[in-house]
Amino acid sequence: MLPEVTKDELLYSHGNEPSTVNKTGEWRFLTPKRSEKLSPCRHGCLLNGEIPVWMEAVKQERWDEAWQTMSRYNPFPALTGYTCFHPCTEECNRGQLDQVIDIPALERTVGQWRLDNYRSEARPQKNKGRVAVVGSGPAGMSCAYYLNEDGYAVTVFEREKVAGGMFALGIPEYRLPRRVLKRELSLLEDRGIKFTTGCSIGSDIPLAELYADFDQVFLSTGAWKPRLSGIKGEESRGVWNALEFLSRINKGEQVEVTDPVIVIGGGNAAVDSARSALRLKGVNHVSLIYRRSRAEMPAGQVEVEAAEHEGVELICNALPREINTDGQSVSGIIFDHCKTNREGLVVDRSRSFHKSCGTVIMALGQEVDYSLFDTLEKPAVIFAGGDLISGPATVPEAINAGRIAAMAIKARIKGLPAPMLFKSEQIPVGFEELNLEAKLNLQLQNKQENPSDEASRCLGCGTCNSCGICYLFCPDMAVDPVDGRFELNMDYCKGCGICFKECPSRALVMEGGR
Amino acid sequence: MRIEEMKRESEMLYAGHNACPGCGAALSVRFLTRALGSNIALVLTASCWSIIAGMPPLTALKCPILHCPFPSAGSVGSGVRRGLDAKGKHDTTVVVLAGDGGTFDIGLQALSGAAQRNEDYIFVCYDNEAYMNTGMQTSSATPFGARTNTAPYPLFKEGQKKDIMQIMAAHSIPYAATATVAFPEDLENKLKKAQEIKGFRFIHILSPCPPGWGTESGDTIHLSRLAVSTGFFPLYEIINGVSWKMTCMPEGKRVPLKEYLMGQRRFKQMEDIRIDALQEEVDHDWEMLMEKIGSSQPLK
Ligand SMILES: Cc1cc2nc3c(=O)[nH]c(=O)nc-3n(C[C@H](O)[C@H](O)[C@H](O)COP(=O)(O)OP(=O)(O)OC[C@H]3O[C@@H](n4cnc5c(N)ncnc54)[C@H](O)[C@@H]3O)c2cc1C
Ligand code: SF4
Ligand code: SF4
Repeated sequence: MLPEVTKDELLYSHGNEPSTVNKTGEWRFLTPKRSEKLSPCRHGCLLNGEIPVWMEAVKQERWDEAWQTMSRYNPFPALTGYTCFHPCTEECNRGQLDQVIDIPALERTVGQWRLDNYRSEARPQKNKGRVAVVGSGPAGMSCAYYLNEDGYAVTVFEREKVAGGMFALGIPEYRLPRRVLKRELSLLEDRGIKFTTGCSIGSDIPLAELYADFDQVFLSTGAWKPRLSGIKGEESRGVWNALEFLSRINKGEQVEVTDPVIVIGGGNAAVDSARSALRLKGVNHVSLIYRRSRAEMPAGQVEVEAAEHEGVELICNALPREINTDGQSVSGIIFDHCKTNREGLVVDRSRSFHKSCGTVIMALGQEVDYSLFDTLEKPAVIFAGGDLISGPATVPEAINAGRIAAMAIKARIKGLPAPMLFKSEQIPVGFEELNLEAKLNLQLQNKQENPSDEASRCLGCGTCNSCGICYLFCPDMAVDPVDGRFELNMDYCKGCGICFKECPSRALVMEGGR
Repeated sequence: MRIEEMKRESEMLYAGHNACPGCGAALSVRFLTRALGSNIALVLTASCWSIIAGMPPLTALKCPILHCPFPSAGSVGSGVRRGLDAKGKHDTTVVVLAGDGGTFDIGLQALSGAAQRNEDYIFVCYDNEAYMNTGMQTSSATPFGARTNTAPYPLFKEGQKKDIMQIMAAHSIPYAATATVAFPEDLENKLKKAQEIKGFRFIHILSPCPPGWGTESGDTIHLSRLAVSTGFFPLYEIINGVSWKMTCMPEGKRVPLKEYLMGQRRFKQMEDIRIDALQEEVDHDWEMLMEKIGSSQPLK
């Protein structure tokens, strides 16, 4: 920052011409440059969120900015804050110092801020082009959001009476409060997205009709077909498929279960079913039975622990052989001991056991139902994403697919080539690379870190978070604060390298030459 | 910290000054102007800053500067203060800026006189531990074991670094403090505190000098920080010469001095016995300091 002076202000005994006419940048033979690097959290994030960037806005309680940054990649932070399994935190560098940053909690905070404060007027329709979205899960919602933001007319078709896909029907209420989903959906509606619920594409409206009526169609019908095990008694009354079971509960419908309950499977649907069953009236005992070891369970460990804590009995290494049933009700299951080795699953029939039960919930995973595609009469280009394409995956991956699809659809409507996407090959900034000495030093002097202020603990790995250390320590006034950011002023930078060495985030590099 | 909080209207150092890349002295004065505001008058004795300030008509500082001969800083400061007072400009802060030569050696008698008379100004010594401007000659502020151009290999500086803080404390001046560039908040706080006090105030700032110390210009802050965390240059203040207080304590155990010395060419080829001797000296001084801090009554 160069102080402004007028000539008459200068009344010096020594000189009255500011030395700024001296362009000391000419002395330089090494040049600092901003070069932001990938942070481990972003590397882990399944929707490529710019975590350290919005974190900085959160630190300064600039909520709107936080939301704006976040929504570039994640338009539903409240929903992901509740449901995402946050692989971002697994790689968080702060973990090597003490505790990882609770990124999902901060997502919820920003998401809640948005739900509470956001203006809900309709977006102006500035672009020609009408798009139909089939399926209102995270992928469909995200695609609709980004198209609507850019002023396209979007109609979402949903088979069920409620919108939200797995948010509404799969994920239990105790993990995702429905008021959050409702508010999120009503915000989308207020912003001009049309939701047609209770309308199954393929049966109520032929898919071909959509292709005729709309400029583009996005398919995101998810993976809803239950995978069957083929064991005896599977079709009997008293045997549920997990998704059916969960969605009935989530719709608020009555479900008949007889105690005790056995849930078969090891994924999230299995754990959700077990925990949901335990919450039903008249159910006192729920067992969760998985064929491999506990460590091999695909469900998140936190979820499994929560289930156990609530009283779900966990039995591993047991494969169901047969369900005992008289056609009207089930009375138990025969299990064989089994374990995995290099060849795969090894079943030991000599170590079988019987477990009695009144209800069985089969949670063996879902598959994609491709029958919708059969009705198509060769459209030139199909846009589709989410579980429908990836197979059962996660909420953030579906949101990401929706965002990318929206970009592709926009390009298509405008007659531009489809956007090329590259996955960053960068290696994320390691803990050792950070200059924590400088960081902690600055905090030591200014204010103690506030442990309840989670965002302030973020180290901003590889990302300039405008901490100002380079500005503060520059002996040559060659770092200018411009619009809340710092810019290096090459007219005066002598290339000493203090900024490069002191930047706690490693957001600068030194390059040879001027 | 917010950018807005970091900016200071009073910053009076212009870009384009003549300091070497990575200069700790330039940074010290930048922080000084950030702390003291724009109503200051600066007395500059012969030192690096005589050059950094620019060749007339250019100036690197947006405040009146009076250059003075080497031994006279203490007296010229007294004169400027009295002159300003006579003109009724009581609110202008007079700052005398001197290097270690102008403080520890050549300027000592005038400094001592002014301190004894309790003249009302702030004397700031930016200490780069040798006569850097004239070609890196040893001063009495040069630490034991360092090589300078008057003590080249195989010679080295013999004898301790003069303990200027004890000398100043012995003058019972109202305020004396040490500071260094790696801790700008601490440095600025001390200057602000000094500005509030009437009488003679003394600030001793350790200012790393990349060419003189033989260090990478980017390491200025790193070294300044190490000087504190090794205990080589503790950050403290002394009120009325009797109440000693630590202001910035290195966390946990002190870092071995060797780490501080290692990165500096002036300590290269320093034998282990001399490193140990210097470490002992630092340990001893540290203990003495702790004793003084422990035994001094906090003054209101
Ligand atoms: C029980 C359970 C819990 C889960 N928990 C989590 C979790 O905590 N975190 C996480 O990250 N992931 C979780 N997942 C996975 C995650 O929910 C999915 O990966 C994600 O919802 C996929 O989004 P989608 O939009 O592709 O599909 P879906 O969310 O499945 O949405 C598809 C929508 O399309 C509708 N539809 C289908 N066919 C038609 C048609 N013909 N016409 C009109 N509409 C149609 C469906 O009714 C549905 O609403 C869970 C999955 C399950 C089953
Ligand atoms: S400290 Fe912050 S920037 Fe670094 S990995 Fe953790 S959340 Fe990301
Ligand atoms: S020191 Fe701070 S402001 Fe400067 S580049 Fe690094 S992170 Fe950004």
